[in-house]
Amino acid sequence: MKKNFSAIGQGLFRNYVLIAILALVAVTMLVEPNFMTFANLINIMRQFGPLVMVSLGMTFVIIGGFIDLSVAGTISLVAVVTVTLIDPIGQVPAILVGLAVGALCGYINSVLVLSSGALTQAEALFITFGMSTVYSAIALMYSGGSTKHMRFLKGDTSVIEALGQGSVGIFSVSFLVFLVCLAVLWVFQTQTRMGRAICLTGGNKTAAHLCGVPVSRSIIAIYTISGFMAAIGAIILFSRITTASPVIGAGYETNAILAVVVGGTTLKGGKGSVLRTVMGVLLVILMSNCLNLLGVTPYMQVVTKGAILVIAIWLDNRTQI
Amino acid sequence: MEKQTSECILSIKDVSKSFPGVKALQKVSFDVRRGSVHGLVGENGAGKSTLMKILSGVYQKDAASGTVIFDGETIEHTTPHESMQRGLAIIYQELNLVNTMSVGENIFLGRFKEMKGMRGTHTSARELLDRIDCKIDTHKLVSELSVSEKQMVEIAKALSFKSKLIIMDEPSSSLTAEELVELVKIIHQLKEQGISIIYISHKLDEIFDFCDVVTIMRDGQIIDTKAKVDLTRDEMITKMVGRSIENEYPERPQNVGVTLMEVLSLNTLKLHDVSFTLKKGEILGLVGLVGAGRTEIVRALFGADKTEGHQILINGSAVRIKNPNDAKHAGFGFVPEDRKLQGLVLPFSVEANISMASFEKFTKFGFISKSKESEIGIRQAKALAVKTPSTKTPVKNLSGGNQQKCIIGRWLENDPRIFIMDEPTRGIDVGAKYEIYVLMKAIAEKGGAVILISSELPEVLNMSNRVLTLFEGRITGEFNPQTASADQIMRAALGMTEGSVKP
Repeated sequence: MKKNFSAIGQGLFRNYVLIAILALVAVTMLVEPNFMTFANLINIMRQFGPLVMVSLGMTFVIIGGFIDLSVAGTISLVAVVTVTLIDPIGQVPAILVGLAVGALCGYINSVLVLSSGALTQAEALFITFGMSTVYSAIALMYSGGSTKHMRFLKGDTSVIEALGQGSVGIFSVSFLVFLVCLAVLWVFQTQTRMGRAICLTGGNKTAAHLCGVPVSRSIIAIYTISGFMAAIGAIILFSRITTASPVIGAGYETNAILAVVVGGTTLKGGKGSVLRTVMGVLLVILMSNCLNLLGVTPYMQVVTKGAILVIAIWLDNRTQI
Repeated sequence: MEKQTSECILSIKDVSKSFPGVKALQKVSFDVRRGSVHGLVGENGAGKSTLMKILSGVYQKDAASGTVIFDGETIEHTTPHESMQRGLAIIYQELNLVNTMSVGENIFLGRFKEMKGMRGTHTSARELLDRIDCKIDTHKLVSELSVSEKQMVEIAKALSFKSKLIIMDEPSSSLTAEELVELVKIIHQLKEQGISIIYISHKLDEIFDFCDVVTIMRDGQIIDTKAKVDLTRDEMITKMVGRSIENEYPERPQNVGVTLMEVLSLNTLKLHDVSFTLKKGEILGLVGLVGAGRTEIVRALFGADKTEGHQILINGSAVRIKNPNDAKHAGFGFVPEDRKLQGLVLPFSVEANISMASFEKFTKFGFISKSKESEIGIRQAKALAVKTPSTKTPVKNLSGGNQQKCIIGRWLENDPRIFIMDEPTRGIDVGAKYEIYVLMKAIAEKGGAVILISSELPEVLNMSNRVLTLFEGRITGEFNPQTASADQIMRAALGMTEGSVKP
């Protein structure tokens, strides 16, 4: 009896995202001819890159039943560390160090969550919120509070430029990076034992532990993935805008959570998919693009985002009963 | 007609309720006489709760399907609040009290004005509690009360609405034997005061103990309503299950062999120097009050809790178990106490729930083989006769008994040598209980051993080859349930005698 309700509800909810995207695009196309211009589509593609990376990582944390607010700090830290290392050690080693810093930030989060015995999303929320401020502060101290510009660098930045501006055929390089990450993460989530362990951990930690599922390792994995993906996002972000400020990551955590939840991954954990998150990211970016073109003030846009997050969680709870 | 309204507090006629795709109730009719205790029995999913939710106004019956007459008044549409005002109270299994408020405040929640403030609230609450001979201080916080005391507060709350009919949904499921006696006393008092009671329970003993009339439901229909004196136990079970069950329990396993496991001086915060042996082919029952340490023993064995310096010998060689994964590899299986919180991943499929303890069987180089996983799910679901539309169905849609079978199947896939079952039949209907007993027996007869924990003493006494009694974290006795009396065993479990009656 309840099954049918929720099946219809969830079906509607899943399509809800698609319907919302199409409706938004249709309305904007009618009202604002600038929407379908080449320049605007490129603009959308570019915004898509960093956010989708962060959101893909966030999807794992949320499927695992936790949450990660530290990505904002991680992005800022990775961006300034990578940029400042290009001159002394070269661009490719700098990128590798950046990725390692991101993964390390995530790993530290997981160790803190595990060692404090945090079992709920709320506890993880506060721990990662605290760590976000720590990472941001380290980024500020490291950079001396100043923005690093790539054009003032002496070293070779060809790879980074390619990442930010280059394209292969009709696809930008960053889009190809995204496709590779998506494929790897999708396979990881749905086809591997560790991916399943993460889902089970999110579904019911106690039951998973009593079945010998590696719950602690799953928690380490989700946060490390989140940190690593945030690092990729950070590198794509500064390669596009060619500057790295120590507050560059601000706001990414809320946008990523918004994208994941709007995409249809439940905050309760256990269920979700990286593919849905991609839809969620599209919706979030298209929405802000459309609202911009329609001349909605930035303040009102923030209100809209908040409202959508609340509606998405509300719908999710309604369909889960 | 006139006569009926005066005689019956509640009269339900031809009420139906459909949910999309399911007929939850089909033309249900029955009457509850004034001042009677009316038992309502039926397997899980028989429609008892749906019916009660219609009466209390949580659900609405299908439009134009029959009538509900309460206290001479035909009720078409109602809400929980209106029902309460009319004098129909329902006490749910999970009690609805505010833990951080006092007893008096809870009884008159939202009605302080009518009670003229706190003083009025507490004096009126005192009067209500006295009516059921309850001595709880009305200023005490609800969080400090035991489950049975909370139940009394709920009853007092029902009385405060001048209830004429009180529905109790499985009130005894979390009560100890003594607390149940208290509850029965209260039920008799209420009856004397002319209040009718609908008593929903799985426990047939209680129904026979103090109900006047019994209604049996199955598959959304009323199968029979009879006075208790005209009903036999076997007849009731047959009608509930829809087929006759010869015995409530199968015969216990026959071939008890040599020692399989030895546990030496198990100590935790709650356990003191617990040592015992487990033999091949036996079912070992653990008996004790809630908090005596039964669950703690098995959790410690299984590596779920921290322990200090104990030794486990399986087949004579020492085994180290630091976590459930070690236990799994040492050949343990574990059905935890709370099916929903500790056993199942509710939103996941039957298949994923069955396969989650045997990853090794369907993964290679860390990759999952979905087809092999399906095989495992189908194999166990078939072997245990799990009733489910498909193994892809979310496990939360299954009935309690079938959910429990999924947990058992999960471990059977690993061929466990030592199967721990903590309250394996809690909240499960009679038919599924029997099937679970048969499974336990089969595990023992295949050369494994079962450790059984249950709050239902008859279950332990009828299934076990050997019983250990526990009191405050110590083993107080060892009995052969075939020769020892239930009384002897209970005395040991209450810490009154140190004793052992060897087989």
